[in-house]
Amino acid sequence: MAASLDDEIEELQAKVASLKKQLGIHMTTLLTAKSTRQILLEPPHPTTTLTLPRRSNASPVAIDEATKLKLLDQSDLQLAHNQECLYRACATVTTFRARDPDPRAVDGGAILGLRIDVVSRTKFLRPYYVLFNRPYSGAYAGRYLRVHRHTLPPCIPLAGLAARYLPAPPKDDSAGPAKQQDLARFAHALRREVVRYHHRLGVVADLRKAAGLARRRKDAEGGDEDGEEDVEEHDKPPTATTQLVDITPADAEAKQLTLEWTDGRVGRLVMDDDGEIVKLVVLGENGRDREAGRDLLGGATRVEDVVRRLAALG
Amino acid sequence: MAPLSVPTTARLPSTLRVDPSNPTATRILGRLSRPSLISVALDWLDDGNLPLAQPYLREPTGYDDDDDEDEYDSGDFYPPARSVEALREIYISMQARKGSKREVLDRILEGDWRHGLTLYQLAMADLQYLYDHPTSQKWSAYRIVPLKPPTDPSAAEDDHPPEVDDESLAIPRFHPSTFLRSLQAQVLPDLKAHYNFDAHKTLPLLILRIFIIDSPYNTSHGFQASSSRGRRTSEATTSFDSARTIYIAFPDGSPHVFISKPQTSTTTNSSIPATTTSSSSSNPPTSIPGTKAGESSSLLTLLINDLPKALSRPQKRERFTLQPTSLVTRNLAELVHRRGAGRTNAAGGGWSVYAGGEDEEGDGKGGNKAKRGEGGVGQTPLDLVLPSPPLSGDTDDEDREEGGGKRPAAATVGLSAADEMEQRAVKRARLVARARFGRTATIGDGKGVERVDVVVEDEFVPSRKEHQEREDEDNDEDEDMDAWRPRVRLTFHGPHVFAGIRQLVECGIVDGEKMPGWMTGEEGVTVGAVRKGRIRGHKGSGIP
Repeated sequence: MAASLDDEIEELQAKVASLKKQLGIHMTTLLTAKSTRQILLEPPHPTTTLTLPRRSNASPVAIDEATKLKLLDQSDLQLAHNQECLYRACATVTTFRARDPDPRAVDGGAILGLRIDVVSRTKFLRPYYVLFNRPYSGAYAGRYLRVHRHTLPPCIPLAGLAARYLPAPPKDDSAGPAKQQDLARFAHALRREVVRYHHRLGVVADLRKAAGLARRRKDAEGGDEDGEEDVEEHDKPPTATTQLVDITPADAEAKQLTLEWTDGRVGRLVMDDDGEIVKLVVLGENGRDREAGRDLLGGATRVEDVVRRLAALG
Repeated sequence: MAPLSVPTTARLPSTLRVDPSNPTATRILGRLSRPSLISVALDWLDDGNLPLAQPYLREPTGYDDDDDEDEYDSGDFYPPARSVEALREIYISMQARKGSKREVLDRILEGDWRHGLTLYQLAMADLQYLYDHPTSQKWSAYRIVPLKPPTDPSAAEDDHPPEVDDESLAIPRFHPSTFLRSLQAQVLPDLKAHYNFDAHKTLPLLILRIFIIDSPYNTSHGFQASSSRGRRTSEATTSFDSARTIYIAFPDGSPHVFISKPQTSTTTNSSIPATTTSSSSSNPPTSIPGTKAGESSSLLTLLINDLPKALSRPQKRERFTLQPTSLVTRNLAELVHRRGAGRTNAAGGGWSVYAGGEDEEGDGKGGNKAKRGEGGVGQTPLDLVLPSPPLSGDTDDEDREEGGGKRPAAATVGLSAADEMEQRAVKRARLVARARFGRTATIGDGKGVERVDVVVEDEFVPSRKEHQEREDEDNDEDEDMDAWRPRVRLTFHGPHVFAGIRQLVECGIVDGEKMPGWMTGEEGVTVGAVRKGRIRGHKGSGIP
């Protein structure tokens, strides 16, 4: 009895949630529509009071001034949000100004922020920030930036990129002319690294999905006992897919993947920055198992091809 | 025991048995609590570990077992169990009932493992102690930095020590077994070490335990001269005194290593904190604490020299070195927070609002500086529905904040102006603390450093300094040599230093707006020198 009541409550709550979601979508659609905006923006001159009754024949809702203002506010918010979504999806690198709360900060605490938006797996990720200050003095004051704080994970070679594109000015004048800093190229290269990194992570997730790891975990454990892979291969043609038990990134940059098969074979897949497969090594009980490697790749040169292949086989 | 012991360079095998009366073994087991001892014993009896931790079982006689039962029981206080399953049951039953720790310890040492505990078992027990007492080790964080490939291969290394390659985009990669093999190749042959890897139970860390004895033998000769075999006592003491344990922790996905201070195995547990405090306080704070004179320091330097070599792969022209990062703490969680794989490495203190919380995604009420886009995390670009929860959450928060300040004032109309001022000041102090510390440095977050050493090298008259600040940023050393710079050393002590400072700011004791940035802990260092109100020359956050 109690269980059924709980079920009912759960069902109703799910219904409420879905209705709320629908309401939100409808509201958004209505608010974004041009005609709605037009009606809201109509000046409240006396003629409207005259025309309203006629309109209210069709729709008996009359809008008073306060509601109208509220709706207008909401509409403004919505438009701003639309613009933001568009901007985040397209522009992806934004600069902004900030202040260092430290009272002893250099340059009066002026901070230039760089915000990098990444969309991965159809979702906005939390943006990455790089914050610059201008600590240099003399001839370079105000022109040369230095990375002050950042929120990039250590697998992004930020220090190397900064040294390449934002070199520090020389300490003394004898060292010759200072190299120019190029913030645009820095931002470009940095974003490229970040996006590549997330693409690699995404590919790993795709590989796991294509190999059906979540689904087949139980079967894999069951099939662990009979180590005779040859027998299994004859039983089930798509051997490589059914036997994979784990695919995990093996290094910080997710360029190397560890593959594990049910029969204890382990493999290492190395890809380069752009997802091209550099090398795949599979080690079985008796040393290197080239056949399994060929089986898995099937002539693929990119990791995405392997994903497609696994998905087709599975 | 091997009949013949030849000095080799091989490592100590995991199966090597140590006599249970060996003080090292009794000490390692003796400091575990009763529940930990039982769980470790059960772990040993686990099928995966059994080959390396075989207990002393009754010989399978083949006859009816009942006959010789009496024979075993008569003189033996701990009759050997018939099988591993039976032994497991004994320990499980011990787990269920109460009793003394001694009971379990004696059973292990004199009963089930009377023929010796393997090094693997000792390593497991030691790691269990580390998990039970997470603050028992003092860790220093080092960064792995790439080196420039040598331009002239024929040139001697001593003439041109390889430079740090600033422009390298390589991220050091770590492979445990390869690393161990090359580390073993670097270790001198007169030391023998046993290595054991273990993944940390809660943190994303891989812990390598290195157990080192000064002996050229990799058989039980290294341990042989225990007190029970009295004939070689002089050698025994040297061998045991020098047995040391070092932990190296590799955070997942981060080019850092955390190295613990070496511990000699004969020092009692209580004396360890005492020695660390005295040694680090006698050091100049700019150097790495832990470089104590004597063999443990030489071992540490040896290790710091050898670690990067073990990580490097000369064939692929990838060479690395270790750089100290001025962060020394007993708290592994703090180390993972500051030097781990996340976003918080170079965004401490108030900057942490940019990094966002690790667990609460899209929680936009982190601080005043939270950007408008913070609410849009986890959204799809095509979903145009206005994200109401973060926004309303934000306003709610503000409302609550406002209301909390105003309501008492409104309720007590007769409140004096002084009280009102005080309340306003308290509220302001809280807001300032939030701006300066962000989400970090709260008492309950478990990420506290226990000691911070800072040397203030600012000149005495502050007005001149303000004036000069903009001009001589880089060449201050030669210009204001005449200024009086009192050498002020500050040491903060406590379970969570920066949370303590935050509380002081919230109480209004420390002025949060005038407080220099290093007091918020945003630099991520525990040792540093302050010049012009900023920590200088540190290799902590930001770009080194």
